[in-house]
Amino acid sequence: MTVNGLIRSRVFLRSFAIQGSWNYRTLIGNGFAFALLPVLRALHRGDPVGLGRAVERHREIFNSHPYLVGVALGAVARLEMERADPGIVTRFKAALRGPLGSLGDRLVWAGWRPLCLIACLVAYYAGVHWAWVGFLFLVVYNIGHLALRCWGFRIGFDHGHEVGERLRRSPLAATQKPVARAGAFALGMLVPLLLARTAAGLPWPWWAAAAAAALLGVRLGNAIRAPLAIALAAFIVATFLFRGSGNG
Amino acid sequence: MSWVALALLGGVVGLDATSFPQIMISRPIVAATLAGLVVGHPGLGFSFGVVLEAFHLAILPIGAARYPEAGTAAAAGAFALVAARTGVGAAPLLITLGFALVWGRVAAASVEAARHASERVVRAAEPGMGPAGVEIRHMAAMAIDFCRGGVITVTGAALGWLLLRVLVAGSPPHPVIAQGALVVLLCGAAAGALTVFGGMSERKASFVAGAIVGTLIAVFA
Repeated sequence: MTVNGLIRSRVFLRSFAIQGSWNYRTLIGNGFAFALLPVLRALHRGDPVGLGRAVERHREIFNSHPYLVGVALGAVARLEMERADPGIVTRFKAALRGPLGSLGDRLVWAGWRPLCLIACLVAYYAGVHWAWVGFLFLVVYNIGHLALRCWGFRIGFDHGHEVGERLRRSPLAATQKPVARAGAFALGMLVPLLLARTAAGLPWPWWAAAAAAALLGVRLGNAIRAPLAIALAAFIVATFLFRGSGNG
Repeated sequence: MSWVALALLGGVVGLDATSFPQIMISRPIVAATLAGLVVGHPGLGFSFGVVLEAFHLAILPIGAARYPEAGTAAAAGAFALVAARTGVGAAPLLITLGFALVWGRVAAASVEAARHASERVVRAAEPGMGPAGVEIRHMAAMAIDFCRGGVITVTGAALGWLLLRVLVAGSPPHPVIAQGALVVLLCGAAAGALTVFGGMSERKASFVAGAIVGTLIAVFA
């Protein structure tokens, strides 16, 4: 039994909505069954009982990074096509869950996305028109996004149960360090550009305070969010307390 | 009419964050620009989006982590900022930033509620219900998320608009303090995002090299 290109395309398109029914019990389990349905329907044509059983198996708990879920979908479609034992398919899915999640998180959420965003902010504060910045962010980010989805689905379907080995040989893991370095470099560029653009006309103590805040941010990392929230509240109160003295 | 458009935009932004298709319409710089466009001032929406974006750079949607929902808060804040007609000064921007950061938390609570609702919807698909039941329930969960996004965005925009009209429109707050506060907060928040790439211990050389290049551009460009 084969699965033609049209059916594969439908599975791929459905993978964009795989998190549509994300929940705390089965995570994207229901979405996985939803995305795989075109393949299951083709393989169990005229066998509603078999189709129902297959759907139930794939509704069980599953999770992955959404951009890399195509690897699992493609590989499972291949296994179903080869009439693999249901127990093997279930164990295979369980084995893929962790690697696909952590690889995608590091590569996309903690790499590609912040790099694209920071590069766009650098462009904006360097003087590029805002409309170009927004447009370029969507285009450049989604080139990487779509390329990753297409590649993942293709290697999943081509390699089936050997996709883990193919993933290990892929250049994905090796790209994490250069992306992180580029992101840190872009962030380094952003801070002085942001300061120069937004602090123009302010007295020097504000420049010193901004530089101190940047140093504190570098040191504390994400933990700076709480002090910043307190500072924001204090600043808002201060703008009202001194409202009469600054409006000419 | 623009409120209806905002509700639809909020629905799309809410969906994009997790459900479909995650093409990053839900990032503050995009969502705020689109919300600004709805009320005829996309540039101001973008300016607000940039400020809010700096505060969300270091937030990673990893696993089942609970994090503020930036997209709907950005759309609500940008819409309120433009619709309140308080001008393009730092003071309205600062107050809208404070509001949007709080509203992002409220929106996050609504996401959690929607996920529990999804769980009930998915659970209702009894074994043997068949593939159509799975599809219908999946679409129903997405519809819930869409409606949630629309409602949370419109509610946020209305509250933000009211806040700005009451606090800023009559007697504007101190502009220099507001501008200085924005600069300090932006620098701190942006620099804090270094943690995403491994922190100062791992990325010191890249960050310092970037800072030198950025300073040269700022001075000479």
